[in-house]
Amino acid sequence: MDIQQHAREIGLGLDLFSCIQCGKCTGGCPVSMTTVLNVRSLVYGALIGDIAGPIHEEALWDCTCCFTCVERCPKDVRPAEVIIALRSLLVEEGKVPSTIGNALMGIFRQGNPLGYAREDRIAWMDGLEVKSAQEGCETLLFTCCSSAYDIRAQAATKALVRVLQAAGVDLGHLGTEETCCGNEVRRVGEMGLFEMLVEEGKPLLEEVGVARMVTTSPHCMNTFRHEYQLGMDVLHYTQALARLLEEGRLNMTGRVEKVVTYHDPCFLGKQNGIFDEPREVLKAIPGVKFVEMDRIRDRSLCCEGGGGRMWFEGTNTEGRLAFQRVQEAADTGAEILAVACPFCMAMLDDAVKVKGLSERLRVMDIAELVAMAL
Amino acid sequence: MSDNGFEPKIVAFLCNWCTYTGADLAGTSRIQYPPNVRIIRLMCTGSVDPTYVLKALLDGADGVLVGGCHPGDCHYQSGNYKARRRIIALKEILKQAGLEEDRVWLRWISASEGQRFADTVSQMTQYLKEKGPNPMKKEWAV
Amino acid sequence: MKPRIGVYICHCGTNVAATVDVEAVTEFAATLPGVVIARHYTYMCSEPGQALIKEDARTLGLNRVVVASCSPRMHEPTFRAASHEGGVNPYQVEMANIREQCSWVHPDRHEATDKAKALVYAAVMKAAHLEPLEEREAPVTPGALVIGGGVAGLVAALDIADAGFPVHLVERSDRLGGRVAELNRTFPDLEPVAEWLPALVDQVRRHPNITVYLNSRVTDITGFVGNFEARVGPIEAGLAPAQIQVGAIVIATGYNVFDPRLKPEFGYGIYPQVVTTLELEQRLSSGDLTVNGKTPKEVVFIKCVGSRDQQLGRPYCSRVCCMISAKQAQLVRQALPDARVTVFYMDVRTFGKRGEEFYDEARRAGVRYRRGNVSEIYRRGERVVVRVEDTLLARTVEHEADLVVLAVGMEPRPEAADIAALLKLPRSADGFLLEAHPKLRPVDTAVDGVFLAGCCQGPKDIPDTVAQAKAAAASALIPLMRGVVPMEAATAVVDPELCAGCGMCVEICPYSAPALDPLWGVSRVNAVLCKGCGACAVTCPSKAIRLQHFTPDQILAQVEALVGW
Repeated sequence: MDIQQHAREIGLGLDLFSCIQCGKCTGGCPVSMTTVLNVRSLVYGALIGDIAGPIHEEALWDCTCCFTCVERCPKDVRPAEVIIALRSLLVEEGKVPSTIGNALMGIFRQGNPLGYAREDRIAWMDGLEVKSAQEGCETLLFTCCSSAYDIRAQAATKALVRVLQAAGVDLGHLGTEETCCGNEVRRVGEMGLFEMLVEEGKPLLEEVGVARMVTTSPHCMNTFRHEYQLGMDVLHYTQALARLLEEGRLNMTGRVEKVVTYHDPCFLGKQNGIFDEPREVLKAIPGVKFVEMDRIRDRSLCCEGGGGRMWFEGTNTEGRLAFQRVQEAADTGAEILAVACPFCMAMLDDAVKVKGLSERLRVMDIAELVAMAL
Repeated sequence: MSDNGFEPKIVAFLCNWCTYTGADLAGTSRIQYPPNVRIIRLMCTGSVDPTYVLKALLDGADGVLVGGCHPGDCHYQSGNYKARRRIIALKEILKQAGLEEDRVWLRWISASEGQRFADTVSQMTQYLKEKGPNPMKKEWAV
Repeated sequence: MKPRIGVYICHCGTNVAATVDVEAVTEFAATLPGVVIARHYTYMCSEPGQALIKEDARTLGLNRVVVASCSPRMHEPTFRAASHEGGVNPYQVEMANIREQCSWVHPDRHEATDKAKALVYAAVMKAAHLEPLEEREAPVTPGALVIGGGVAGLVAALDIADAGFPVHLVERSDRLGGRVAELNRTFPDLEPVAEWLPALVDQVRRHPNITVYLNSRVTDITGFVGNFEARVGPIEAGLAPAQIQVGAIVIATGYNVFDPRLKPEFGYGIYPQVVTTLELEQRLSSGDLTVNGKTPKEVVFIKCVGSRDQQLGRPYCSRVCCMISAKQAQLVRQALPDARVTVFYMDVRTFGKRGEEFYDEARRAGVRYRRGNVSEIYRRGERVVVRVEDTLLARTVEHEADLVVLAVGMEPRPEAADIAALLKLPRSADGFLLEAHPKLRPVDTAVDGVFLAGCCQGPKDIPDTVAQAKAAAASALIPLMRGVVPMEAATAVVDPELCAGCGMCVEICPYSAPALDPLWGVSRVNAVLCKGCGACAVTCPSKAIRLQHFTPDQILAQVEALVGW
């Protein structure tokens, strides 16, 4: 097949020659115990130009692009990029799981993977006054497609806007022109669509002329920071909140008398080193008793929502990591599992329901908790 | 100017203790770089007389590289600082005289930086290729 | 005297000849002005190669010699000596570096040959201008400074002291013995450290030629080979620093242990089950291997923690961890016969004498070796889980353990950087002190009279450390036993006819070598103090000072040749 022919090119293109096959990548891969996907074998296959053995096409879509393999590789190889490159080949051949195909089509047609109408992108603003960024603002709020359309995530978005406005932030929004950032598009290997999104999105963002963008999702933040080369500061909203706290602009007069734990999103923590700000914000909420789980920060467990997994169930539907994660959260005695990413919200909220933990544990966005304390 | 087969000549004045040794390390490590550089070994960049640099340029060298120890590492305590002051002054004079001061490069490269030496020569060769031949030679010859 | 130059092109086996057309370069050299003879030969540094120079010098009356071969940093002394034997002044020898700076870096034969010609041309032009210089000698202060009181420093100090010279041994901590004193038993014989280290320390303490300075550090060093002056300051304030004079210095400042907190995935500092090899060493000494009051049933070793790691800027192998793990795994097996001991590894590197056999013994003792670089550790009940891909099974496993030992690597001590700064010693990219040549001068440094012993130069085990310490001591004894060192001949000289007595040279010299003659009002350079840096020559507005061996006419001749060819 084609993949076999292209494997060598991938090996050369990604400079895999440093790899010593130590297994640190697969050993840390959150899905490596529940799928046949083995990233070390794929690196080896690409390196020697014979990938027929290691490859399992469907399992390629199991990767969540948490990049734990990239973060831990002692030889500076980027194992996950091999998976992305192999996915690209499948995309070119049209061999994409139908659910992912639908998401990509939605982005192409409506600017969001859920396939909802572009006009409805600002439906969440109902009852709020949000300025149009095109008319000038200090800070641009970029809402992830999930934050804009997903009903559960919308609540967090609204809360965030209330919090930022209460702190006196001059906030603007792109309105219906806002389009998917493409972070997951690049990671499912649809390079053409990703390039198109950058080409169209970059001028749109730059024309607004703001110095700072705040994103609701770590995924959007990640691609804007590293793959768009924008001339502006891109902050995750937890960073923005931490700054407002530090500047004394975020006054919380209410109390949230709850035991709270926090789940690190991979794109925020492992990939961008933002571990402290979300915790600072949570600990500053009056009444909150903050507790930690065992696997946190660099050792956090992936929720399995990244890298296109929001749109693809995975080859193993039994052993979802989110099930394990919510159990860990519940075991700390926490009543609230705080999240800072709309994907984590969706995956963990679902898991709480499936595992029957709804009575004990609620998944809430950090912005929602702050809003409760305003 | 584009690269149309022009091969610049670079004369390098390197201090014995750091950059010359770094160049040797590039050799023992078999790090390849363009052959355009020709090295003169001095004990210290502090002994690089600006007239040496001028002479090289007037004779027709397309570039002059002065390579010494990193600040604080000079074998003779402060020779590299002296070199830095002199080269800055020389470049200013070249600029005032309407000559191309960017043909003179001063770089700190230690004995352990073989790769950095090779990279510097590669960059300088490429830079001078794009810049074209040294016009001073012709002007002088007339 | 009219130049009569002999040019010798070295093949260096195939090192030069494979890329440079040595015959063409020789033919070219023969046409250069002043050249009487041009030859090429397989190995100029060999006995017959040197004989060629001597023979030609005598029969053809040569007064200049040019050798085109390796770097002058390598063989200049060799060819100076050979030429001298043939009656040529050693300072009328010039080298063209056509190996390190030509054949090894330019693969194209045409380009390399062309450049070699230019370099030979420049060397011949410089040689024609070279003047004879006289080498003088300075007396050596008998005695050595040894910095660091670990095994390397102890052994080096003893050897120098046994040869009859006073040794000043400076140690930062309050005891001698260094890192080895923290060990229980050593590989590959499982010998208790207590059986030999105290005796070594005692020998040093009782030696009449050794002065030990504990809780002290070297705060300043001036001078040069044969005559160094060092200031030894007590770390606690209030005590007077000592000023000592020595002829040679041995640096033996050792290493630091990698801090595994920099690899957060291992949970070191979070889980009491996770310890370093050094901590296990202490537990083995005390005999208490319990964790949370319980005897471990599952023990895991993780290798290469902080070694072979590009992300941490520690790309090197620490060379001892494979043997330490094999040793400790065996000792744990002995101490806890019911425990299962598993070593997770990337590669097993038990090289050296008895190394492989020791690894065999570890496995035969029941230690399980599994291939895989552990990726993560987390808690499960009273145990921790070691998550790792067994790469031979191509399967990720969760290996539960009661005790996890991290085989931590070695890293440079920050104090070594201070010493390097004092002496202007180069360090390699990894931060360890750099030897003068990786093969031929492994204990020498770029500074004459300063030598390296032990892990300050790079990770090594005790036998290698001792071998290097003995080599450093032997090298330090060369100037001490000779009693004299050659002085820099290429010093600056003043032409009193041209000197205006402005004093700028006096101001710029870091060594106070030039001084104004009160009677004549001109500058004179004290050749004993001059180090030959040449700063004064450039500064002199009337060009009255010249740095011998690097005079303007010599350098300009090189420039002309290099640009002209």
